[in-house]
Amino acid sequence: MSKERTLSIIKPDAVGDGHIGEILSRFEKQGLKIVAAKMVHLSPAKAQEFYAVHKERPFFNDLIAFMTTGPVLATVLEGDNAVAKNRDIMGATNPKDAASGTIRKDFAKSIDENAVHGSDAAETATNEIAFFFKPEEVLARTR
Amino acid sequence: MKKWILLILALCCTSAKDNSSSDSTSANQVAPVVATKDQAERTLSIIKPDAVANKHIGEIISRFENNGLTVAAIKMQKLDKATAGEFYAVHKDRPFYPGLVDFMSSNPVVIMVLEGDNAVVKNREIMGATNPNDATTGTIRKDFAKSVSENAVHGSDSIENAEIEIRFFFKPEEIYSR
Repeated sequence: MSKERTLSIIKPDAVGDGHIGEILSRFEKQGLKIVAAKMVHLSPAKAQEFYAVHKERPFFNDLIAFMTTGPVLATVLEGDNAVAKNRDIMGATNPKDAASGTIRKDFAKSIDENAVHGSDAAETATNEIAFFFKPEEVLARTR
Repeated sequence: MKKWILLILALCCTSAKDNSSSDSTSANQVAPVVATKDQAERTLSIIKPDAVANKHIGEIISRFENNGLTVAAIKMQKLDKATAGEFYAVHKDRPFYPGLVDFMSSNPVVIMVLEGDNAVVKNREIMGATNPNDATTGTIRKDFAKSVSENAVHGSDSIENAEIEIRFFFKPEEIYSR
């Protein structure tokens, strides 16, 4: 099984609530390695570009407004089945539907402010990683 | 105890030296980077290669967040030997310097700016003593460090050195005060 990578974003609500460490722990304890990390405050233009796929959806403007309210932490997670594993660890998009022990069950307040983003497929992961990180910012682990 | 006195003396000499060198260049600086009184205090924290490899990034950041420090900047970086050597230049003549530089460049590190009341001192309390054998229960080094040379975290030792160390790794626009 080859190593897969996925993009994770800790959203402004979870950063503001001081849950960065607890969320990263969930990934590290469940077999995902953090191989890149940077904190950024997205501009509206950047957020719109990242979520361009949702441009026609009714929630788009609110999503952009929320994602630009404060800094986010973008990370690249690496491991077997990283995309699917990250989605398991995050839990359902709506925290009301999220299973116990998932990030969204424990840290998200609503479907709009739901603590984390994770790539939904290996292809989108590649694009999303390139959106935030230069190749040299994704770091090979030597130990 | 004697070791501590020596360490404190060494640190005092260092800050004095750093101050004088920054004074000599201050004429060329446009804006002062030193925090103003009404700005929260900042300190630099590094999660070292051992703690990154042992998957303690999240737990260590939790200790800061749960003890009143805000994470205002984060980047993950693999230090090359030149950068690690420059960062620890103050220890250049110490016997442990080559080993320290090798260790710090052995794996990626997580570099952060922590912000809050008394951030420098608070961070040092959360980290615990340099040697994990001397660190008190509940500190990062007691719980995650294996030895005095691989001791999980770095933290600035004074407000002045925090400013210098933050500037070493971060541009002002990469720091997000909240």
